[in-house]
Amino acid sequence: MSPVAEPRAGRRRSGRFRAGPWAWAFVLAAAACLVLYAVGLVLWEVRPGTLLGMSYGIAAAVLLTGAALYGLRRRTMSTVSRWRLGSAAGWLRLHLYGGGLFLLLVLMHTGFRLPTGTWMWWLWLLSLWTAFSGLAGRALQLWIPRVLASGLSVEANYDRIPELVAELRQRAERLVADCDPSVQSLYARKIAPALAAPEQSATFFFDVTGGARARLKDLDYLAGLLSSAEKEKLREIERLYRAKLEIDAHYTLQRLLRVWLWFHVPPSLVLLALVVVHIFTVSYY
Amino acid sequence: MTTPEDPLTKTMLKRIEQYRDRWSSYGGQTGIVAISEKLSPQELRTYEIFSDYDDKFLEKISPDVSVVLWRDGSVLFEQGTYLDLAFFVAGGEVDVFVEDAGEFQEAEPIFDTSRTVMVPPSTSREGLDTAVGRTAFFRPSQVLEGGASASHEITFLASMDFDLPKGATARLGPGELFGEIGAMSGWPQSVTARTVGECQLVQIRVPALRLMKRKSQALKERVDQLYKERALMTQLKSTPLFRGCNDFFIQGLMEVVELVSCEPGETLVQEGDSADAVYLVRSGFVKLVQQFGDGQIAVSYLSKGMTLGEVEFLIEGLDRWEVTASSVEYAELVKIPAETFGNLVKLSPEIEEQLWQTAAARIKEYGSSRHDVSRSEFVSGAVETGLVQGNSILVIDLESCTRCDDCVRACAATHDGRPRFVREGNKVDNLLIAKSCYHCRDPVCLVGCPTGAIHRAGLEAVVEVDEEICIGCGTCARNCPYDAIVMHETEELWPDDMIPTALRGTDRLLASKCDLCHSTGHDPACVSNCPQGCAYRVGSVEEIQELLSR
Repeated sequence: MSPVAEPRAGRRRSGRFRAGPWAWAFVLAAAACLVLYAVGLVLWEVRPGTLLGMSYGIAAAVLLTGAALYGLRRRTMSTVSRWRLGSAAGWLRLHLYGGGLFLLLVLMHTGFRLPTGTWMWWLWLLSLWTAFSGLAGRALQLWIPRVLASGLSVEANYDRIPELVAELRQRAERLVADCDPSVQSLYARKIAPALAAPEQSATFFFDVTGGARARLKDLDYLAGLLSSAEKEKLREIERLYRAKLEIDAHYTLQRLLRVWLWFHVPPSLVLLALVVVHIFTVSYY
Repeated sequence: MTTPEDPLTKTMLKRIEQYRDRWSSYGGQTGIVAISEKLSPQELRTYEIFSDYDDKFLEKISPDVSVVLWRDGSVLFEQGTYLDLAFFVAGGEVDVFVEDAGEFQEAEPIFDTSRTVMVPPSTSREGLDTAVGRTAFFRPSQVLEGGASASHEITFLASMDFDLPKGATARLGPGELFGEIGAMSGWPQSVTARTVGECQLVQIRVPALRLMKRKSQALKERVDQLYKERALMTQLKSTPLFRGCNDFFIQGLMEVVELVSCEPGETLVQEGDSADAVYLVRSGFVKLVQQFGDGQIAVSYLSKGMTLGEVEFLIEGLDRWEVTASSVEYAELVKIPAETFGNLVKLSPEIEEQLWQTAAARIKEYGSSRHDVSRSEFVSGAVETGLVQGNSILVIDLESCTRCDDCVRACAATHDGRPRFVREGNKVDNLLIAKSCYHCRDPVCLVGCPTGAIHRAGLEAVVEVDEEICIGCGTCARNCPYDAIVMHETEELWPDDMIPTALRGTDRLLASKCDLCHSTGHDPACVSNCPQGCAYRVGSVEEIQELLSR
């Protein structure tokens, strides 16, 4: 017997995000496109209507469609699992790197020139918006979980936050009903409003504890004046208050992760629709 | 005993149907001809195995006992199946046989292999070729190649499957009992059992067996003796430390060992007391604690197949226990007196070497727990919260998790819109131990299920609920210490012919738990549909520690 912590082969199933091979594939593909573009520039003119320009456009459209399939995958998880169509982590990589390459190809498709005409401006701007909003979202996805995991002791399920807050409030009210009047007064002034409902605050972006120490100063002072039994009750109220602050941090930051999707997904769908129209128009005329 | 030809009421037919379902859930054929109603103490006492018990006791255990008439050729259970009951042959005969050696290897008991030195298959030791479970040490009433000799003494053959040579068949007759040790220890059956002719079997579930053993010292001694004679050798051989040892060594061990059963929380050895034995865990978990300041800290834990006492045994001058060991739940151990064990080990340098490795690892564990109290806290928490039990624990890395809940949605999508877990649970540092079934090594949720709806899925470690036969009694949910089973409403009412009668017309509930997507045939959806790749299925506490150390 040995306590050596070697994981059993095949036991752990994980698709933990490792950028390595995907990043290299992206760099190689981008470099190949750029080299081809440079060669094209020397030999021919690269415009959307030329063979090379058109090729970049087609490739960009394919990548955009591929990236959009990630959204479809999230809505058909049962089918994807049943047909073993790859892990979600793999699809997300494709979505991210494919999206990045899409923007590069769009720029090469236009020959790195500003578009002409309203329609083209819309396409161009939406392409930029989709790619950069995706990048911003990825940054949030990397930043927020770290902040939540390292700075908070409570873990909260976003959909259950109102329920959790109500539970905390009820517990605090039951507790305070039996407390010294000075505690009741402080509770009514400072804590009850905070426990009323989930609250968002920009403070959590800078300090995930929401300035708990400063907020609890009054409680600390009061605790020094109370008997040990009352002090214990006050400490329990403090614990509930801290938990509420942490839940608010979850509420604020998890909400941002959800709200961000509205800045990314609908414009992406509009872009996809515009691209379809664009392809149809180009091929028809 | 009733038969389908009798003028049965609808209720009785329903009960038969449920029992029949129960047996089919174990993978066996539906070969039941008739099943008894609840037996009275007088009826039970007609079977030899119950003859020593009083009426009050028999009344208590009778819900966990049934008499079943099986038709010819019925498969009672298959090799590798986990059972929570034993069979006593009341009439007729049963053949038991090892189907395939390869499958037998796969169906070995679930050891916590990450903490257990496993002898590599290529390792050659004296006697290895002939060692593992290929010699018959039991005395079945009839081995088919030999002649038949009906025996009327009670014999216990729970692990005889380990001892059967491949291809050979043992025939069991009236008075013989089998399946007991596998059921009590949480070891899989490694034989297939099939009836020969019409066969009447008394089927006793684990809770009743446990009570019977506790109540009757004579029975316990008899069982232990028979266990030593027929099953100990193979269990010792399949234990990682002794795997591959020759028969001479194992025989030597068998002569000196004592079997020890511990109640939950019972202290096995006390730190500072004289260390005079080496213990081997047969089943259950043992927590090891050491004095630290005015209190105690958990330094390690032992699971099935692990040993205790090698440090004290090997290091000269260390004749007192370095730890206090207590059982976490019911635990079964083999006690080997240190002196005779020492004499045997002298004959086997490989064992000594392996013991030294174990001792070194154990000392390292003790040291690191004392040095880093958070490790001790983790070990203690792992024992108390049941992580040590887990074969497949859903762990989420909160530093990568974007709380998108795709894991829960994927689970729901795979299970008719009803998720089998919630993304909540204990937080260990930056890891969330989700409230999802651990698929325990010794699943207590199986004990007490009146229909056998909750069961091990074939040869796998997966514990699943057969929704077709679940009656929604909630016993499994109450038994699960980790809140991993949820009773949910189906918005249906139980029909008028429902058994138990108390359920008729009431809301139909259903036990719901993670099944590792076993029935769907693909990887767990929660893991494969996590876009950040931060959901893991881990099979040991050490894997959790490894994740924490990243």
